[in-house]
Formats: sequence, structure tokens, C-alpha cells
Amino acid sequence: MSTMFVLHRFKLLALLLLANGGALLYLSLGDLKPMAIWSWTDIAGEGGSALLVLVWAGLLLKGRPAGRVTNLLFFGLACLFFSLWMDSLDEFISLPESLTLDHWLESAPMPLGFALLTLGIYHWHCEQLAISAQMINRERHFREHRLFDKVTPLGDAGYFRRQLQQALPAAQANSEPLSLVMLDIDDFSAINRSYGHREGDRVLQLVAQQILLNLRSHDLLCRLAGDRFIVLLPATLEAQALTLAQELQQSIAHLALKSAGQGERLQLRATTVALMARQEEADALLKRLNIVMARAKQAPQLRQAQA
Amino acid sequence: MSTAVWLDSDARFIAARGQPACLIDLALSRGIDSHRLLKGTGLFYEDLLEHDPLITARQFHRLIDNARQLLAADDSAFLFGQQLLPGHYGATSNLLLQADTVLQALQQLQRFKALLSPLCAPVIRIDEQSLYLYWLDSFDSGKNRQFMVDASMTAVTALCRQVCGHALPWQYHLMQAEPVYVEQYWVHLGEHLHFNSPTSFMRLPREHLITRAGQASAVLGRIAEQQSLQQLSALTAPQSLTDGLFDYLCEHISGLAGLEQVAANFAMSAATFKRRLQREGTHFQAQLDRARTLIATDLYLRRGFSNEAVASYLHFNDRTNFRRFLKRLTGRSPNDLRQFLGH
Repeated sequence: MSTMFVLHRFKLLALLLLANGGALLYLSLGDLKPMAIWSWTDIAGEGGSALLVLVWAGLLLKGRPAGRVTNLLFFGLACLFFSLWMDSLDEFISLPESLTLDHWLESAPMPLGFALLTLGIYHWHCEQLAISAQMINRERHFREHRLFDKVTPLGDAGYFRRQLQQALPAAQANSEPLSLVMLDIDDFSAINRSYGHREGDRVLQLVAQQILLNLRSHDLLCRLAGDRFIVLLPATLEAQALTLAQELQQSIAHLALKSAGQGERLQLRATTVALMARQEEADALLKRLNIVMARAKQAPQLRQAQA
Repeated sequence: MSTAVWLDSDARFIAARGQPACLIDLALSRGIDSHRLLKGTGLFYEDLLEHDPLITARQFHRLIDNARQLLAADDSAFLFGQQLLPGHYGATSNLLLQADTVLQALQQLQRFKALLSPLCAPVIRIDEQSLYLYWLDSFDSGKNRQFMVDASMTAVTALCRQVCGHALPWQYHLMQAEPVYVEQYWVHLGEHLHFNSPTSFMRLPREHLITRAGQASAVLGRIAEQQSLQQLSALTAPQSLTDGLFDYLCEHISGLAGLEQVAANFAMSAATFKRRLQREGTHFQAQLDRARTLIATDLYLRRGFSNEAVASYLHFNDRTNFRRFLKRLTGRSPNDLRQFLGH
């Protein structure tokens, strides 16, 4: 919160001075109305709107990185606020009839504010397109920030499940194949144990980036849980998915990760499995894939035990 | 059982540098503010670094509560659990690492539970085929119950993995319904999950109990055991009141006369006994229900008892009462429960 006030102190100070100046100007020109003739509905309507616009401006400054689009949106909202503020002031102060200045102060900032806001929203839209292009392989069709993973820049299991619930019927309707690939880092808890959770989280972020580099433009990567990732492959046969799974496995094995502390090499190995969807529900498919993964993880142990 | 001394929720016996430190470390590494994390726990971050304060079960539960809410993630319990065992607790951790077999490691865990698992007591039962490891709250867990059971199960899984050198095929029975974030259980525990279970327990085929990777050192093991025993005897008591009550109930369930008899065994009047239980956030009937549920589960699992045999073992006079009891506590009729448990 404090960074918001520091970062935008000039903008906020200017708005405060302007609002104050307006109030002083009215007070010097007119007289206070007695409380008996205050119109409470007007005060609630105009004053309430002014306050809400101020809240919007605050949320905007707090939530968005500073920059051109933020400035445009802020100045647009500032004009709207000023106009509504002056409008609500004359509920308390009666101005001489001959004065025309008050009409200007109330009405002129409004269209200017709307023009700035429109311009800002247009550029915001362009910005969103640019961001969406960066979100490739991490997002499909819809966004839900409550389903963002807290560690990696990916969607979580809930987001993936909802995507799968949409994709399965669509694939069946179009008679297209749909496959999934699951990737699990072998003995990942050892990294958490030896290097701590912070390092473990960093490794997960880097692994997520590495997997993203190996995907096609229409694939979707999510973090299922812990060190387990899952990829949705639309219009893909099981053989292609298996190839991709092997590619991912090799790519993780060849990832020459260094620890953040001393920079020593962290050797990672991953187990990957692939499946094509049959006529089944999303939950059943995920369960089936999980069992295939469990078998794949046991296989090296069984070989060890037999040897 | 003449020693009438028990650990209660306000007994300072948990080393803050042990399990609590694991949780604080996890929360801080996720960017949680230390003041908010320790709010209301009576514990100070500087204290933890400079001294080795002992805290109460109540304080630890408050810390877990804070961490759970601030982390607000589905995987907190599992990440916490992975750090718990064998842990970094000196002699007691060495004791687990120097165990000859998985079974011995688990038995030591049960014996030194006040040091190694202060909030959640492991209870071991064995039959010809399997080992069953039940988890009981040693103190009133409130909303932390599931968190602690998940963490404890993860901890034992990690411990056995370290002792054996590879993952063991544990089966997990959990009391909650299948959660939406079931993937966390798949990844951190495994695919052998049974939800809606009458009580929380883990099961392992017996042949895995005698394994371990490499050779344990008998000398280091003995030293660790002696040091652990010293630590344990330095505590006012080896277990909590409800743990002690559970042991007593297991032994005497078939001939249980009433509250007065139980209280007398704990060298208290019935009124004092009730008051002590109330201070622990529970009451006698709740403890009796808990013990009976676990014993019924255990009889079905290990002995393959019929419904009538279980009912009479638990001192129920007629089938309707027994049926009503099971339905109320597990949501299943006796036959359903038998089938669910695989007999």
C-alpha cells in the first residue's frame, strides 16, 4: 500500500489540491446552505458516485504497473471524480445565479474524462492482446485468476480440470483425438530437503519454463500438484503424445540447472506418461492417467528389486 | 498406573526449534510475514533464533492455524510433513535413521511420540498380513485435525522412504470425503487412497517391514536411544491425558464399568476427571466414541470379527445400539463398514 502512495505521490497530490481548490473557490464565491434545505438524495447520489470513482482510481493505481495506460486511465477517472465532486459541492454551497463558472467546472471535465478513459481502455485492450500472446500454452479460452498456481506462472489442477471438461465434449463432437501428457520429477522432495522450499519453488518455476519451450502453440500446460505437471494436447493421437512425452523427459534430463546458492549442478530426472482420451469423463481420465503414472514410477524400482 | 501425571494442552514440552521451526521455515520461504505468522502464539522469532524455547500444544496449534490460513495453499500440509521425519532433532532423529528395520523405526516413533510427533499420536497394530498405523489427536486439534493427519502421514511416508531407499506401497485411509484437490494426495502420498474412512490410518504389507537400505550402526543406535530416553524422562510425562485414556480404554473396553472406575484409575475423582477433559477441549463420551470406532475398525481389519462379535467386544448389549453407534460415527452400517474395510 505504501509503495502505491510513494510511486504515485505527485498524481494523488495534484488531485487532492485540485479538489481542495475547487472547494475553496466555491466557498469564497458563495454561501453555505442551511442544513434544512440539503437534498440528501442528491448528496448520496453525486457524493457516492464521486467516492466510488475515487476507489476505482485507487484500485487501478494499486493493481496496475505504472505506465502510459495506467496514466490515461487515472487521468480519465480523475476528471470524472473532479466533475462529480464539484457537482456535489453545490449541494452544500449556494452560488450566485449570475455565475457561469460553476457550470464549466461541473460539466467540462466530464467529457474530457470520458475521452481519456476511452483512450485508456483502447490501449488497455491492445496491452491485453500482447499479454495474452505471452500467456500462450498457459491459458486457453478463459481466464480465472482464482485458479492461478501460487508458485509457478501456470494454472492449477482446478483450472486444468475445467479446461478438460470443456475440451473433452468438444473433441468428441468434432471426432478429434485428445491426449494428455503427465510429467513428474523423480525424487523432487530431496531438493526441498537439501536446499529448502525456496530453492524447490525456483526449480519448479524453471522446469515450468523448460516444458513451455517444448510445446506447440495450442497445447496447455498446468501444474497439477507438487512436482507434477500436466499438458492438454488437443487434436493429438496417442503416438504423437508419447513422442512429446519422451521429448519432455529428455529435455528435463538435459536441463543443466544450477542451484541459486553455490551454483552447483542440480541433476533432474522426470517420469512422463501419455494417454489418449476415450469416451470418459474428465475425472475418470485424470484418475486413469494418474494410475499409469504410478505404474511408471514403480517400474524402475521393480527393475532394481529384481536385479 | 499409579503415576497420575499427563501432558496437558498448557504443558511446555514442544521444542520450538523442532517441528514448529519446520513450519515457520516453510511459511517464511513462501514470503509470509513473521509477525503475522506468530501472532497470538506467544512465540517470538528472535527468541527462536537465540534460545530454544519450549512451547505448549495450544501454542503450536495456534501457529499451525495461522500458517494454514496465511499460506492458503492445498499443499501446505504435505510440504510441512516432508520435513518432519526423521527431521533435524538430534538424538531422536538419529534414532530413527539408525533403526534396523522399517518396523523398528515405526516402533521408536510410537515410543518417542512426545518428542517426534507431539500433536498426533501414532498407534501401531500388526497382523499376519499387514501393519496398521492409526493417527490420534493427542490434544484438541480443532480445525487443524486434517492438516495434522495429512502432514503426519506424509512424514511417515518420507521416513520409510529414507530408511528403505525407495517408496513403500502404503495404503492411506482418510476420514474426509474426496477433496477437489485430490491431485495433492496423488502426488504426495500415492494412488492407494481411501476416503470416507471410519478413522485415519495407513496400511503396509508386512514383507516391507523388515527392509532397510544399507547397514544401521548398532553403536550409534544405542547412543541415540539413550539420549532420546534422557530427553523423554526430562518431560513431565511421556504422553497426553487423552493418549493415556485411549490406551486404558483399549485395554479395558470389554469390561468397562463407567466413568468413576476410569477416573479412579487415573487417580482422580469423577468430577476432577471430567473437568480435566473439559480443559482439554473434549469430554468422556467423545473419547469413548473415538476409542470404540478405532477398536471396531481394528477388529474388522485384523481379526475379521463378525458384527455380533465386535458388538459384544465393545460391550454393546444389543445389535440395534451397535448399529446406531456405527451409523452415527462412521455413517455406515456394520455390514457396509465390513465390506468397506475389505472383509
